[in-house]
Amino acid sequence: MSDPGVAISIQRVRKSFGDVRAVDGISLDIAEGEFLTLLGPSGCGKTTTMRLIAGFEEPDEGTILLRGTDVVGVPPNKREVNMCFQHYALFPHMAVERNIEYGLKLKKVPKGDRQRIVAEMLEIVGLAGMQQRKPGQLSGGQQQRVALARALVNQPAALLLDEPLGALDVKLRKHMQLELKRIQHELRTTFVYVTHDQDEALSMSDRIAVMNQGVIEQLGTPREVYEQPATPFVADFVGVLNAMDVRVDEVAGEDLVMRVSDRDRIVVPVGPLGTEASVGSSLLVAVRPERVELSIGDGAAGNGSRLSGTVGQVVYLGTLTQFHVDTAIGERLIVHHLSDDLSSMVNRGDEVVLTWARTDAAVLSS
Amino acid sequence: MNVAVSRAGRRWLWLVFWLLTLFLYAPLVILLIFSFNDRELVSFPWEGFTLHWYQTFLDNPEILTALRVSVVVATLTAVVTTILAIPASIALVRRRFFGKGLVSGVMLAPLVIPLVVLGTALLILFNTIGIPFSPLTIAIGHIVIALPFAILTLVPRLERIPAALEEASRDLGAGWSTTFRQITFPLMLPAIFSAFLLSFVISFDEVVIASFVAGDEVTFPVYLYSQLRLPRQLPQVIAVAVVVLTISAIVVTISEVLRRMTDKSLEETTRVHDEEEVSVA
Repeated sequence: MSDPGVAISIQRVRKSFGDVRAVDGISLDIAEGEFLTLLGPSGCGKTTTMRLIAGFEEPDEGTILLRGTDVVGVPPNKREVNMCFQHYALFPHMAVERNIEYGLKLKKVPKGDRQRIVAEMLEIVGLAGMQQRKPGQLSGGQQQRVALARALVNQPAALLLDEPLGALDVKLRKHMQLELKRIQHELRTTFVYVTHDQDEALSMSDRIAVMNQGVIEQLGTPREVYEQPATPFVADFVGVLNAMDVRVDEVAGEDLVMRVSDRDRIVVPVGPLGTEASVGSSLLVAVRPERVELSIGDGAAGNGSRLSGTVGQVVYLGTLTQFHVDTAIGERLIVHHLSDDLSSMVNRGDEVVLTWARTDAAVLSS
Repeated sequence: MNVAVSRAGRRWLWLVFWLLTLFLYAPLVILLIFSFNDRELVSFPWEGFTLHWYQTFLDNPEILTALRVSVVVATLTAVVTTILAIPASIALVRRRFFGKGLVSGVMLAPLVIPLVVLGTALLILFNTIGIPFSPLTIAIGHIVIALPFAILTLVPRLERIPAALEEASRDLGAGWSTTFRQITFPLMLPAIFSAFLLSFVISFDEVVIASFVAGDEVTFPVYLYSQLRLPRQLPQVIAVAVVVLTISAIVVTISEVLRRMTDKSLEETTRVHDEEEVSVA
């Protein structure tokens, strides 16, 4: 028997379209009430995974359990999950009320109850009193809310959202992110959210499954995925990344050290891969731009890394200023620094020193 | 400079437009004029205005019978053609299946087969299997030629109804038949109506196949054609032709107007977010 706390269990699922392996062996348990995001570039298999859960596609191999019941072969209308479509897919010939009560009507819920439930749901999504509007009379954000309400009135075991905010402008998208989170919290519904937008994934999810080429590269909390990327792909896709090819010159206790010059060096703690790393081996080392400290003149390395370099480009981003620094190891590193006095002093062509603590660097692969 | 926007270019376009219009509609105007001309010979000079010819055709039982047969045949054709075209267009637009190109080619082939060939083929077919000629055999022939037009009317509409709407309906708990009744059919309705009227008009106007497979009861165009060799009958036949022409024109206009009106309403939902993006950015 399965764990009662699991809403959706995907087990060793594969799905191909012709020669294309859209989903190539995925296993994933999604907990009741969880906000799980499938994050990845287009063509990574995230939408196919969602359509497999909804029942619009059937897996070639593997099983999918919904609240412990195998649903492979069950048509979408018999599965207790509901979906929010990318372009909302509201029925244009029906008013908002008729759109939302569509599922309830099919379940033969009496008219009075339907009206009450629809009114309550419109209240929750912030569209009270809009029952008689036609979808064509609503803005994109409002249509989005109707689509949410239409799916949520059925009290699904899980709500599947396929890039639901993709068609909205930036400001509205930020607002709807918070709204979605609030609604999910209020109703405690399991949300499975598909997006290619890393900011959306990081800010909303309980857990993120980062997908690439039909497989899950990493499954973890937003913090884990961002701070301890498991693969080079994850590190690169989530956030801005500085990756450096490094050759180990010395193993000093817990640390692997690469000497660049008299004063410059890169230090990485012996990680999970540490047993294999020895003097002379090559590593791919990553550090996040906001972890790198930028200073003018003599930066003290402590027991961390230190690289000197020349500023190649300065990009003002508002709160942050981005410096592209050509370093002594021949690679250009990106550094994020708060837009303060120091930032305004550093210009293109200036000599700077970059430092970061030994624990801020991670080994991606050897 | 663009020919279409320069002043001289615009004048030329205007001129060509009116010449074309004249070319297309002058024969019909002539017909209209002669139907009111108080003269037994269908030619000028103008002898004065009369409704006499309209009066005589209303008193002519043969014409009225032929008209009635035409209406029956056209109605039958329109109903059956529409009923066949709906599932055919859904299969062509929504399904992926082996040999789809071939199937659609076969279904649309009557568009390019000469009517004389088709008429002969039907004649031989009905003779061989022993079906007596009647309005029914005319309708069968007309269904064959109207079907591609009906399918070609439904397909573009169906292509503009997002498949996600049907998926959403399924996702919310509706089976295939409920989804068709609640979503696909209502959204296709204007095109279905167009297809119906178009099939009706195609059948009502058709003379070649009808003359091959008609029994004792002929349709109006066949009757009209047979009367052309009797000069005395000609003026009243022309009067009927004007009436039929007018009705056809009205029917086609209605179907086109309806199609455009409802196409707009379907577009509205998809257009809204585009506007919004522009206004906030």
